[in-house]
Amino acid sequence: MVASTADTVAPAKPLAGLEWTLALPLTAFFAVFFVTPLLLLVVVSLFADSEMTRFGLDQYAKFFGDAFNWKVLGSTLFLGVKVTVLTLLFGYPLAWLYTRSGPRMQSALILVVILPLLTSVVVRTFAWVVILGRDGIVNNLLLTLGLAETPLRLLYTENGLVAALVQVQMPLMVLPLITTLTRLDPNLLDASSALGAGPWRTFFKVTLPLSLPGIVAGCLLTYAASVTAFITQSLVGGGQLLFMPQYIYQQTITLHNWPFAAAISMVFMVSVLGVVMLLNLLGRASKGYIHA
Amino acid sequence: MTLNRRHILAASLTLGAMNLFPGLSWAQARKLVFATFTGSWEEAHREVIVPHFRKANGNADIALDPMLSVDMIAKVAAAKNNPPIDVMLMDPGPRLTLIDQGLTAPFPTDGSKNYKDLLPVAQLPEGPGIFFQAVGITYNPEKVKTPPTSWDDLWKPEYKGRVGITNMNSTLGTAFMVELAKTRGGGEDNIDPAFAALKELQPNLGAVAPNPGALATLFQQGQIDISPGNFNAIQILRARGVPVEFAKPKTGTIAFLTTAHIAKNTPNGPLAAALIDSAMAPEVQTKLMQAPFFVIPTNSKVKMEGDIARMIAKDQEELKASFVFHDWSIINKNRAAWIERFNKEIKV
Repeated sequence: MVASTADTVAPAKPLAGLEWTLALPLTAFFAVFFVTPLLLLVVVSLFADSEMTRFGLDQYAKFFGDAFNWKVLGSTLFLGVKVTVLTLLFGYPLAWLYTRSGPRMQSALILVVILPLLTSVVVRTFAWVVILGRDGIVNNLLLTLGLAETPLRLLYTENGLVAALVQVQMPLMVLPLITTLTRLDPNLLDASSALGAGPWRTFFKVTLPLSLPGIVAGCLLTYAASVTAFITQSLVGGGQLLFMPQYIYQQTITLHNWPFAAAISMVFMVSVLGVVMLLNLLGRASKGYIHA
Repeated sequence: MTLNRRHILAASLTLGAMNLFPGLSWAQARKLVFATFTGSWEEAHREVIVPHFRKANGNADIALDPMLSVDMIAKVAAAKNNPPIDVMLMDPGPRLTLIDQGLTAPFPTDGSKNYKDLLPVAQLPEGPGIFFQAVGITYNPEKVKTPPTSWDDLWKPEYKGRVGITNMNSTLGTAFMVELAKTRGGGEDNIDPAFAALKELQPNLGAVAPNPGALATLFQQGQIDISPGNFNAIQILRARGVPVEFAKPKTGTIAFLTTAHIAKNTPNGPLAAALIDSAMAPEVQTKLMQAPFFVIPTNSKVKMEGDIARMIAKDQEELKASFVFHDWSIINKNRAAWIERFNKEIKV
């Protein structure tokens, strides 16, 4: 305690109080390369016609006036929910196993978790094309075991896409979970069982609530990454499952309809932000729960 | 002058700096930038067109910058007065956009050695056609025993779940739909028959690929056994040992020109024209026609050989007779509506 107080009373430096200037380079970088393009996007979305000659809210009216667009938006947001829930279901036990293992097993597990991050997302996704194909590993196994008579259609289906996304985004869920679970005081678990709670009760009453911040952080990352996963969505989802990222690409690159593309982008961004804020509120509520 | 350590150091630093920042040396214009297509196209152009061009133009400096036509348009449109690229390649749809937006300078046909030898259909003063792309039926010969002869074969019940197509984002996907309409009483201004035909095709559809490249890989995965396909891409896959063959439909091979354009306001006008002239030269096109490139020539002096003679056309007469061209000025007007309709109607 004494040592730590001594550390904080450092001699006054000429730059004291100006430490925030250290953040200026990054702020400038973000202002130029992130905020400015974003504002430009807003402006472009406010053009009424695709030739960009007059202003108006026509693009937004066009988007919300067509049930098809609602369906694309809805299915994209729901895709994220499915992927996030499954990633959590598979990722939590893995993270828990990590905290219960010895150091050697831990390094092995962390390697397994991080390994996918070391290969490009294109390569990881392409592996799923090979796995899910008509002649792929899954179908060959099903046929050999006699579980199916003809190859199933797995590639270019939503279920195939969900499976691929769960694997591709897994590290984003597992790493925050590992961080929270390792910080969890093991005495609490011992106390819980000493007071007569069984392992399941301890899990649901102690471990799970205390790991909520990690769950929220993991869900946030996984959700945002999977709804915007353009490469995986197009390579495993195919050309007729339409999600927001491909919709934006189609309108921009193929049809040169930049105002509509910008409007879709804005709608998509605001929707995803909405979900993210909801999760954040949940995270804050969970913190209150823990300290209560 | 005595050479001491300091002199040598200063000289080498100067040389190094000039190497790092070539802009330092005065009066050197930007080198010619040729925006080509990605993948095997870039390889072909680097190996065949570039050496020919440099030999004929005193080893002029040239850089290749591979990208899609739509990206070329975006880049040139963003810097109209000082375009970062000098020569662009266009598929027929983007070509019209480029011309409409006034982003291209006319090709100087009078000064060209090879322009007059192009097939009439490729003699386009806004930018000449330097090769053809051909779309026919692709099939896996190990699974499809009788080679298909007509687009109608895709509807045969035996191909249930094994037919692949791409969506209409690509030139390939759009051209296929237009041809479908044409063989069923419609055309560029009446796509309805094509959509009706696709509805009937649904039991057979095994995949709607997001782009032609993804469609080609589906043959490798055994996901599909028959689909529309680009001759050139199929030949390259075949050369890598993938079991695919190209078949000409009896109603004709869908063909479109890839045209080369000089960017407006380029600082390298004469060199850009010289590069396009190289791309049209019979000796260049003859080399590009052979393995491993399989590019269909537009110069009438090229003698058809090899796989192209066997599978596409044995001479220019047969080529003219078997190629079907679409009117992209009408297609471009309708394309947005078609893509929207495709988004909504086609579900596998």
